[in-house]
Amino acid sequence: MAEKLLEVKDLRTSFFTHLGEVKAIRGVSFDVEKGEAIGIVGESGSGKSVTSLSIMKLLLYPGKIVGGEVWFKGENLANKSNKEMMNVRGNEIAMIFQDPMTSLNPVYTIGNQISEAIIKHQKLSKKDAHEKALEMLRLVNIPDPEKRINNFPHEFSGGMRQRAMIAIALSCEPDLLIADEPTTALDVTIQAQILKLMKDLNKKLDTSTMLITHDLGVVADVCSRVVVMYGGLIMEKGSSRDIYYSPMHPYTMGLLKSIPKIASDEKQRLIPITGTPPDLLNPPTGCPFYARCDFAMKVCNQEQPPYFKSENGKHEAMCWLLHPDAPKNEVYDSLKGGVRIGK
Amino acid sequence: MENNEKLIEIKNLKKFFTKNKGFIKKNVEVVKAVDDVSFYIKRGETLGLVGESGCGKSTTGRTIIRLYEPTAGEILYDGKDIAKLGNHDLMKYRRKMQMIFQDPYASLNSRMTVSDIIGEPMDIHHLASGKEREDRIYELLETVGLGKDHASRYPHEFSGGQRQRIGIARALAVDPEFIICDEPISALDVSIQAQVVNMLDDLQQERGLTYLFIAHDLSMVKHISSRVGVMYLGSLVEVAKSGELYKNPVHPYTQALLSSIPIPDPDLTESAKRIVLEGDVPSPVNPPSGCKFRTRCRYAMDICSEVDPVLKDIGGEHFAACHLLDK
Repeated sequence: MAEKLLEVKDLRTSFFTHLGEVKAIRGVSFDVEKGEAIGIVGESGSGKSVTSLSIMKLLLYPGKIVGGEVWFKGENLANKSNKEMMNVRGNEIAMIFQDPMTSLNPVYTIGNQISEAIIKHQKLSKKDAHEKALEMLRLVNIPDPEKRINNFPHEFSGGMRQRAMIAIALSCEPDLLIADEPTTALDVTIQAQILKLMKDLNKKLDTSTMLITHDLGVVADVCSRVVVMYGGLIMEKGSSRDIYYSPMHPYTMGLLKSIPKIASDEKQRLIPITGTPPDLLNPPTGCPFYARCDFAMKVCNQEQPPYFKSENGKHEAMCWLLHPDAPKNEVYDSLKGGVRIGK
Repeated sequence: MENNEKLIEIKNLKKFFTKNKGFIKKNVEVVKAVDDVSFYIKRGETLGLVGESGCGKSTTGRTIIRLYEPTAGEILYDGKDIAKLGNHDLMKYRRKMQMIFQDPYASLNSRMTVSDIIGEPMDIHHLASGKEREDRIYELLETVGLGKDHASRYPHEFSGGQRQRIGIARALAVDPEFIICDEPISALDVSIQAQVVNMLDDLQQERGLTYLFIAHDLSMVKHISSRVGVMYLGSLVEVAKSGELYKNPVHPYTQALLSSIPIPDPDLTESAKRIVLEGDVPSPVNPPSGCKFRTRCRYAMDICSEVDPVLKDIGGEHFAACHLLDK
């Protein structure tokens, strides 16, 4: 088994608002192996972005980590001070965000912004850092980098800005790259360019990637393992084949059913998940998906289900239906084959 | 529901925006947002319009409903040109055409209650008042899956999906024939998108509505539309029945666009042969000569830079604008 780079154990983060404590993530555990790409999927409010911000300790007031551990290369990041985190952020764990326009500083040139991280973390001279920045721009396929390095962000298109962000993120050769919805703001053809670049760089530099997105298509394209989040909890995790071809959780099944099948000829009606996500100010005591689940049982509302593992132990889901004593449900069993979207 | 009557027909529609540049020496730049677009929509069908941001799909929609003044061209509604009608004459058509907007957060007035939002179009068109107005509002709320008790609330009390339902109820308030849906689901979560799309489907069946569905999500567009048009930099490059377009795209841009959709199926993604387009969409201020797509096209020939290709009928309601078809 490959070496674990990041191990998140029972992480809990809350936002203390004037209305009360919003439990954004309520006990999340997963790990990232060296060199792999893992996808975190979920709807807005599922806690996927808060998970990444908690790992980086970039939570703003009133957000706070209230429990759990984040083990990264033998150290627990949850206990580190802000000053200590400065050496981790950008250097060992780098992050790219959804909106490349607001995450670049408009008054500095692209070259300046790439060099900044290099000078800070790698202690290179200004001149060497400039050279390195040029090399990074070449790596992310920016045309005419000698000229472009002196451009300001507004002179770049959306796709190029995201490339520049990737260049900044990778300039210090981090071990882990967290990409929070990196292509959501981009058009499909540009998205294809960026995803290809990310896949190529993942292979070339052996950087682990944590991709956060709501798009199941993007995850299938890039990631080998998938974590499905809902209501601040992990509903299901496993290899992408497990998730797409043999989902165990009704929420995952629902997500797959609600996407139109592009390759099929006849028009099929979409099967939506009814209702809306739970309010995390007063999270349900049982399964967060209870209110929207087609197979909900009495126990689901009373007690939060534990994780049940598949035979090989690599695929697990939080659902009472997987309990050995659970009543047999034919509809549920029929969905276990997953949904072949493309066929 | 096959019907060959054309409800909407657009002929050579153009919409240019002018931009003043410079303070002392004034230069006028012309942005050709929609440049010579022609298509038709049959009664009861859904035409999908897809393309990347800045291709002019939203501008086309807004010009048809006359939120923008068209620069040139004809907009035939039921055979009558409404492109040059004055405000007074237009009112009649405004009732028949409605629009659903992309951002359910920005398109509802936050100071109005839901019942006022839905009632306003009825007031403008003098359709109902008093008890009748109230009943219709409740009826509309029910149609879109909301309840009576929602009527007195304000938009901020609703989630994105619910707001979009309010927007749909408002559009339905005047009993329109034709609805322009401008990216109605892009701002919603996946599980909510399917709810809204199914509702639009049902409404079309019940009321015989005609839709122009503008979106960049190609798989959703394929699902909802009977025919799909692909736009690039202000021009329509291909129109076909949706099944045909996805199975047999002719224009190189359509091919690239379709191949770049990420498919939620790991096995297929591995085997898929992606056509990754190089570079970005050129600026509409200064579009390339001839075929606008030639700068990113894999098959660009000499003729492409000289002659702008026109939409050609290749049979079975499939039209495409590409010089490759002449070979």
